[in-house]
Amino acid sequence: MFIAGFAVVWAVNLGTLPPAEFVFNNGTEVKTIDPAKATGVPEGRVINALYEGLLRSVPDGEPDELGRTPTKPKPVAMADSYQVSDDGTVYTFHIREDAKWSNGDSVTAIDFAWSWMRFLHPETASEYNYQLFYAKNASKFALVDLHEGDPVEVEMKDRPVAGQMFPRGTVRRGSLLALIQPPAEDSHTQDDGHGHGGSGISGTSIFVVEFDDESEKTIQAFTTQSLDDEGIQALVKSYQGMHDLSELSSVEHVLFDFQHVGIKALSTHEFEVTLNSPTPYFPELVAFYPLHPVHRLSLEEHGDREFTKPGKIVGNGPFLLKERRIRDRLRLVKNEMYWNAPNVKLKSVDVLAIQSETTSLNMYLNGQLDWDTKPPNTLIPLLKERDDFVSTPFLACYFYRVNTSKPPLDNPLVRKALNMAIDKQTIVDSIVKGGQVPARSFVPPGMNGYQSGYCGEYDVEQAKRLLAEAGYPNGKGLPTIEILYNTADSHRDIAEVIQQDWKKNLGVDVSLRNLEWGTFLDTLRVGDYMVSRSGWIGDYADPNTFLDMFVTDGPNNQTKWSNSLYDEGIEKAKYESDPVRRMAIFKEMEQTLMDEQPIIPIYFYVSLNMVNSRVKGFTANLQDVHPLHLLSLDSEGAEP
Amino acid sequence: MQVLTFLFKRFGWMIITVWIVFTVSFFLMRQIPGGPLNGERVLSEAVRARLEARYNLDAPISEQYFTHLWNTVRLDFGPSFKMQDFTVNEVLAQGFPVSAALGILGMVFAITIGMTSGVVSAVRRNSVYDYSFMLLATLGIAIPNFVLAAMLIVIFVFNLQMFPAAGWGDISQIILPAFCLGAPFAGYIARLTRTGMLEVLGNDYIRTAYAKGLSPRTVVLKHGLRGALLPVVSYLGPAIAGILTGSLVLERIFVIPGMGSHFIEAAIQRDYTLAMGALLTYTVLLFVMNTLVDLAYSIIDPRVKLE
Amino acid sequence: MSIADQQPSELERLTKILREAHDVQGVSLWADAWKRLKRNRAAMCSLWILSIIVLLAILTPALPLQSPIYQDVKNRELLPPQWDSFELDISAYDEETRRLEAEALAIKAQDGEQYIKLLALITAREQTHPIKLYWNDPGMIVTAMIELRLALFGDYCIPSIFGTDKLGRDVFSRVFWGSRVSLACGFIATFVSLMIGVSYGAISGYMGGWVDNIMMRTVDVFYSIPFIFIVIFIMSFLSSPGIRESLAEYEIDQIHVFFLLIGAIYWLTMARVVRGQVISLKNEQFIEAARTIGATRMQIVFRHLVPNVMGIVIVYLTLTIPAVIRFEAFLSFLGMGVNAPDISWGLLVNEGVQVITIIKSYWWMIAFSGLALAMTLFALNFLGDGVRDALDPKLKNK
Repeated sequence: MFIAGFAVVWAVNLGTLPPAEFVFNNGTEVKTIDPAKATGVPEGRVINALYEGLLRSVPDGEPDELGRTPTKPKPVAMADSYQVSDDGTVYTFHIREDAKWSNGDSVTAIDFAWSWMRFLHPETASEYNYQLFYAKNASKFALVDLHEGDPVEVEMKDRPVAGQMFPRGTVRRGSLLALIQPPAEDSHTQDDGHGHGGSGISGTSIFVVEFDDESEKTIQAFTTQSLDDEGIQALVKSYQGMHDLSELSSVEHVLFDFQHVGIKALSTHEFEVTLNSPTPYFPELVAFYPLHPVHRLSLEEHGDREFTKPGKIVGNGPFLLKERRIRDRLRLVKNEMYWNAPNVKLKSVDVLAIQSETTSLNMYLNGQLDWDTKPPNTLIPLLKERDDFVSTPFLACYFYRVNTSKPPLDNPLVRKALNMAIDKQTIVDSIVKGGQVPARSFVPPGMNGYQSGYCGEYDVEQAKRLLAEAGYPNGKGLPTIEILYNTADSHRDIAEVIQQDWKKNLGVDVSLRNLEWGTFLDTLRVGDYMVSRSGWIGDYADPNTFLDMFVTDGPNNQTKWSNSLYDEGIEKAKYESDPVRRMAIFKEMEQTLMDEQPIIPIYFYVSLNMVNSRVKGFTANLQDVHPLHLLSLDSEGAEP
Repeated sequence: MQVLTFLFKRFGWMIITVWIVFTVSFFLMRQIPGGPLNGERVLSEAVRARLEARYNLDAPISEQYFTHLWNTVRLDFGPSFKMQDFTVNEVLAQGFPVSAALGILGMVFAITIGMTSGVVSAVRRNSVYDYSFMLLATLGIAIPNFVLAAMLIVIFVFNLQMFPAAGWGDISQIILPAFCLGAPFAGYIARLTRTGMLEVLGNDYIRTAYAKGLSPRTVVLKHGLRGALLPVVSYLGPAIAGILTGSLVLERIFVIPGMGSHFIEAAIQRDYTLAMGALLTYTVLLFVMNTLVDLAYSIIDPRVKLE
Repeated sequence: MSIADQQPSELERLTKILREAHDVQGVSLWADAWKRLKRNRAAMCSLWILSIIVLLAILTPALPLQSPIYQDVKNRELLPPQWDSFELDISAYDEETRRLEAEALAIKAQDGEQYIKLLALITAREQTHPIKLYWNDPGMIVTAMIELRLALFGDYCIPSIFGTDKLGRDVFSRVFWGSRVSLACGFIATFVSLMIGVSYGAISGYMGGWVDNIMMRTVDVFYSIPFIFIVIFIMSFLSSPGIRESLAEYEIDQIHVFFLLIGAIYWLTMARVVRGQVISLKNEQFIEAARTIGATRMQIVFRHLVPNVMGIVIVYLTLTIPAVIRFEAFLSFLGMGVNAPDISWGLLVNEGVQVITIIKSYWWMIAFSGLALAMTLFALNFLGDGVRDALDPKLKNK
């Protein structure tokens, strides 16, 4: 009994931690706090507190009629100013002189160049790396898209720490004389110029590289595979070209030379980025958390995973990671070395990882939380009455993907009928209840100068007519349609309402299938579904973040829908510098999307936040971003 | 010596069990659709290949099996797939003490409440106490612990505001979940104690003890309780297994960052390495606990032979 | 002669004694148990409650209940318990169809074109008949019961005395329909565990030696495996595309597999107990006798040994059923139980737990389903205890 008592006391003591000044629920455990590897909103909240990019998206300007403050990427971060060349393709950032890492080192342009190199490096395997493919040659580097004659860098197999990517082994720079690959079969498709997926060199290959060292030129052959590899040996044997492969050596990487990528440190404080084409939303990307820098020395010392641990982590953001307990909390404390430290009001912050919406709300109402990021739908009408409920529409759409390769859904008429038979207003009013807006288009309203497309109102008669036109009067002859959703209560509720709408209005039998997130994504990717629940949050305030999803074979298309006019339009918009014309192209393309309806928009999200009234500086905005360093606590009227 | 042989044998069986669990779950997990590499966005082939190489998923399955087995033997479960900043060992090391504290406290609740009410019931047989305790015990056994947790949250958190709604780190946050965890087992233990005591109290030597002039308290506590102890101890084995399962649900309701939450999440998210690590830990834990219970049993009752 | 005369009577006498012995034995074990059980008031009370619950569950489709799945989010969301009457609109719909039919018949002769149009409309109305909205894909028996219910009660429904849920569905009706899945799960899964456990334990115990050793060690190994993991795995394995389709080909639903799966988990204790009994029985004389008359091993096991362990098997059965029902609820709570639109008590309780908060508790969402679940489990436990005491007084409370 004593042992038991002792064990309890010991275990509880181990976990005792007086609560922080400000506590909020992040909704889930963050997967990683390494900016280069993170994806997702919860990760963003933490990384934006621990690190800081060249620019920061901050609420700025006058609120619109809905009380939403626009967010703008501004040089109130590591950069204190930036210039854009007249053709809009060269950005020069000036990094502020007093920018410091939390260990006292200065933050320099070299840090950024190195961090972006790491972000793009194929071995980092960042899921977000396409965000930087706007920079010249960046995609070639990241996707190992090499052609004969390209400048290349060869990393030798002499990494100082085995099994650790950084510090890198010796890097030699030269140019690629020849690329030797087995013939035919695994022919590698050319980069479609799209950047997202693309393809690099894969499979067995030998690189013949010429080095131009001082006086003499040397030619050497390399492979990234093991020399014992059967494919390589066969390739060497069958090779009949002019190069000598007898001294083939195995190396870590042969990549496009990063020095020829449009990312450069001009001096300690001047950082230059050259883009392929003018990209009006590039500043938004620069402010996006994957492009935040990491501290090279500490990463090289501790390794790729260890460097994020409390005590080892070196950041440049307003906060420092003090403690991290898995599925419980991250404890952040103010970083005194931060350039703007005097204006950071919060001294300590607890970031909790509570998944249950109800529990989270209960803790908020109990005074255990200051900010609840997702109150449960059922209670929203009651919460709305309260002063501490902060809600506005933001840039996100809840929609259904339709698999256009599965009959009868390959028929646009059927898809349109399904769209029109959904009573979106009821879903908004009675299920999600937060003041969401029924979606008649895919791109949410509120983008500067953009007029969304239109896919029709709730119209049962018209839907019936369309279905009859498609050859299924009153749903006769239609097979059962299956709605796939990832396990979550609100998704199930919506699916059930839509199931009944389709059955009642169209006579269509509908079945539901729910899958856990991991399986769900895989099922979606291989296209084994008919209709699937989806959501998309704009990564930046531009229609492109929504519309470029649905280009043919785009990685996030997943509907098998393909329209060459659409592809061309989206590509054209990339190079269009006149904002008005650009928006017009987007609008036309969105209308195409709505006419063919490979997706059924359901509603536009609203941000739903419960914020204790003692918290100041919390502004509703278009992207639902609430940087922690802008918040402060009302020292008086503290209300539990 | 006998004990040593027993432990040695048990250890051998444990190794076999763990190996079977490892092998079966290794191959089963790789059958599940939805590998560990599914992020929100579709990965390009190059990125996917890189990640697969990083986690050794591109090797032939037999090679993966033996590498993984060897690492497991060295107690290295590798990096967690979904929590990229941690190794499985770190996750388990963080979760284990939490679950252990919860489980131990739950067990302490179960034993103290169960045995006390069992003794009272037995001594005051057929009294109001007896009936109400046994009714409560059956209720505790019958009601699923998450229903109980919901009821207690309404009463103690919302209405009386005695405890926080959820979380971990404070002694006040551990009481409710530990109680819910222990309740069904308290019920069983109460009933076992009562029956055991009644059996013993009916024996001749108890009458002799009374005749010797021993106080009722001594008789009950010294002799009666001894008889009740055996069934309770033999019940501890299944109870520990039940406590482990029960904590899966309660950790979820009360947002406790223990092994249970890690395990469930890992299995749901197909975090191969973490799920495997947690599973093996649970298996070993169960085995060790059962062995300890058997040992304890043989100490209390010398007639029982260890085998 | 006299000897020949006497022989049949001697045989008769022996037969008679044997029969009597048999009768007395048979009657006394079960009748005695029944008598003991009848004396146990709590157990009898539980038995009554359970009988009523099971009966109601079976009759659910024929009771005048509202639809368990029809949603009316707009008007009936989260209504508290109430007595306001509620009626279906089926007879009005049928009335309208009949009117159209009559109309069609009337104009059949005059206006062929209009007639065909009307016929198409009538077919269309059948396609969208409310029955299809109100009940999810009922089987043959259930359909017949629903028709019986419509014939008996018409559009009348019991009001939402348990309130409605967040999609405006009637909780009362959902609790009834949920009982069908939960109870079926309890009984079918237990039956599966019974089949596996008894065969396994009997064979293991009878064989003895290394066979027994291997079989029991296997059980030991299974005992050390946390089951929840296996269930999670198999559930997701089953929902994977290829496997799901091939199952559908054989008309196997996920829910059937779910029953089997739970059943396959609960056989371990049963196997151990049966094995213990068989070992103590297998050296008894009647087994010896069976062996001498040349019964095969399988015959001995299943014809002679198994019936003799039925008493203890029934005791464990009554303890397994509530455990299984509770396990189903546990899985549903973790989101791995039955899938919508199927309803089980576990799922309902889970839905209820989701909506209890400080500012407003929709208590009826959890109270009634929780009560139904708790009451059933409670009664099953009491009955189990009673049966155990009755059948095997030695085992009392172990």
